[in-house]
Amino acid sequence: MAAPHNATVPGTPQSLARSRPRYGEQAIKAVLMVAALLSVATTIGIVVSLLEPTISFFGEISAVEFFTSTSWGPLFEPPHYGVLPLVSATLITTGIAIVVAVPLGLGAAIYLSEYAKPKVRKVFKPMLEVLAGIPTVVFGFFALTFVTPLLRSIMPFEIEIFNALCAGLVVGFMIIPIVASLSEDAMAAVPNGLREGSYALGASKMTTSLRVVLPAAFSGIVAAVILAISRGVGETMIVFIAGGGQPNFTLDVGKAMQTMAAFIAQAGSGDVPVGTTEYNTIFAVGSLLFVMTFAMNFVSVRLVRRFREVYE
Amino acid sequence: MPNVTVRGPEAPRTIESLDPVFTVKNLSVFYGDYEAVRGVDMLIGNREITAMIGPSGCGKSTVLRCFNRMNDLIPGARPAGTIQYHGEDLYGDHVDPIEVRRRIGMVFQKPNPFPKSIYDNIAYGPKVNGVKGKMDDIVEEALTKAALWDEVKGKLKQNALSLSGGQQQRLCIARAIAVKPEVILMDEPCSALDPIATTKIEDLMQELAHDYTIVIVTHNMQQAARVSHRTAFFTAEVDDAGVRHGRLVEFDETSRIFTNPSDKRTEDYITGRFG
Repeated sequence: MAAPHNATVPGTPQSLARSRPRYGEQAIKAVLMVAALLSVATTIGIVVSLLEPTISFFGEISAVEFFTSTSWGPLFEPPHYGVLPLVSATLITTGIAIVVAVPLGLGAAIYLSEYAKPKVRKVFKPMLEVLAGIPTVVFGFFALTFVTPLLRSIMPFEIEIFNALCAGLVVGFMIIPIVASLSEDAMAAVPNGLREGSYALGASKMTTSLRVVLPAAFSGIVAAVILAISRGVGETMIVFIAGGGQPNFTLDVGKAMQTMAAFIAQAGSGDVPVGTTEYNTIFAVGSLLFVMTFAMNFVSVRLVRRFREVYE
Repeated sequence: MPNVTVRGPEAPRTIESLDPVFTVKNLSVFYGDYEAVRGVDMLIGNREITAMIGPSGCGKSTVLRCFNRMNDLIPGARPAGTIQYHGEDLYGDHVDPIEVRRRIGMVFQKPNPFPKSIYDNIAYGPKVNGVKGKMDDIVEEALTKAALWDEVKGKLKQNALSLSGGQQQRLCIARAIAVKPEVILMDEPCSALDPIATTKIEDLMQELAHDYTIVIVTHNMQQAARVSHRTAFFTAEVDDAGVRHGRLVEFDETSRIFTNPSDKRTEDYITGRFG
C-alpha cells in the first residue's frame, strides 16, 4: 500500500523548521497588544492631564487651606478653597447609598442564588441588570420629582428641595444591581457540595445561606460592594440634580450638599476661563477623587486576595 | 465460584431479626417523569454496615439520598413506595426533612469541608442544631471518634482546606458524628482518596459500626466485601419500552453475595464479567 502523500518516510529525516511564514499570527498579536495598551495609556493620559493643572493649583493655593478649611466657594468673591465640604458630602451620600444598597442587594442576591427557582432567576436577574442600564440623569429626575416630595411628606425632620438624603438613597437604588448581580455570581460559584454538606447536618436553608454560602462567597461580595462604592463616589448626575449645588459642611442630610463630582460637573459646565485658579480647582478636586477611588480599589484587591477561598 | 476474599464481618443476625432502621418497600424514584429506580425492597439493619454496589447509573446513590431526604433538594425528584424509619413513614406529611437530616448524617463522594477552621467545621452542626454542652468537648469527642484528633489537635484554628484529602474526608465524618446521628450515609466516601487514606476510612467505618448504622454506596467491590455485613447489588436494566431503570437485583449477607450469589447477574458483576 502506498504511503500517504505527506507522511514522513522512515529514514529520510525532514526539517522541523517552519515551512511557511505565519503573518496572520503576528498581526493578530500586534492588534491585541494595542488593545491592551490602549486602556493603560488612557489611564496614564488621565493622570497626566489631571497633574499639570493640579500642580499649578497647589502653586497658588496652599495644601493646608485646601485640606483643612471648611468653606468652599472658589467661584465666589472672595474665593474659599476648603475641600472638606465636598469630601464630607461625597462620603455622606455614598454612606447613605451603601446603607441602602448592601442589605437590599445582598438580600436580592441570596434570594436569587439560594431560594429562587431557576425559572424565576432566569427572568429576574436580567431585569435587575436593566436597572443598571438606566441613565443616571433619569434617576436624578426621579429623585428630584418623586423621592424628594415623598421624603418631605413622610420624614419627621425638615428636608430642603435639594438634599443629601434623597441623593444618597437614589444613588443607593442605582447601585443595587451591581451589588446584587456580582454577589449572586459569587454565591452561585460556591460549590454545591458545601450546601449539601450543610443541609446534611440538619441546617435550614437560611442557616446554610448565611453561614456557609455567604462566607464562602465573601471575597466576591466584598469586590461587589467596593465596586458599588466606587460607582457611588463617582456618581455625578443624581447628586448634581437632587443634592443641589450648595457646598454645606454639615451632617444634616436634609440640607443641600455638593459632592466632589457634582462640583466638577457644575464648574465644568460653566464658563470658567482656562488657566485661571478657578479652572485649576476642577482638576485639583478631580485628582483627589481619582486618588480616593484608586486607594479604595487598591485596598479592595488586597481584601479580595486575602479572603479568597481556593476550591479544587 | 467467584474468587473474592471476604474478610468482612459476619452479619450478626438473621434478616428476620434485623431490628431494621430502614424498611424500604417497593421504592421507586422519579426525576420528573423519568423513573430512575424501580421497585426496591430492602432492610437496613441496626448497627450494621450495609453496602450498595453496582455499575454507574444503577440508582444506588439515588436510593441512598432518599434515606435522609437529600433528594428533596433536587427539583423534580420524587419517591414512590415507602421508606420507614423505625416504622415511621420517612416521607409522611408531618416529617420535617431538617430533623431527618439531623438524625441521619451523610458523607459525600468529594470531601466537602466548609472553608472555615477545623474547629468551626465540627462546631457548625451542633451550633445550628442548638446542642447544649461545652463545644470544645464536643469537637474533641467527634474528632477522636473519627480518628483525626491526634493529627489535628495542635492546629484546630487552621483552615480545613489545608488538610489532605483523606484527612478532609475524616473531618467530614467527624462533622457528621458531632450532631450525634443514628445513621451515617456514605456516598462513595473513598472514591477521591488514595489507598492508604481509603484503608484508614475503612478501619474507621468498622469502628463506627459499634455505635452507628452505616449505609455505604461504593464502586469498589472489594471495599464492600471488606467492610459490610450486608450487600445490595443494583444494576440498570432496559424495560420493554426501552427506558433504563435502576433495579435491586440481590440483597443478602455480604459473604453470601460474594461467595454464593443466587442471581446470575450478581455473579457476573462480582467476577468482573460485567460492569
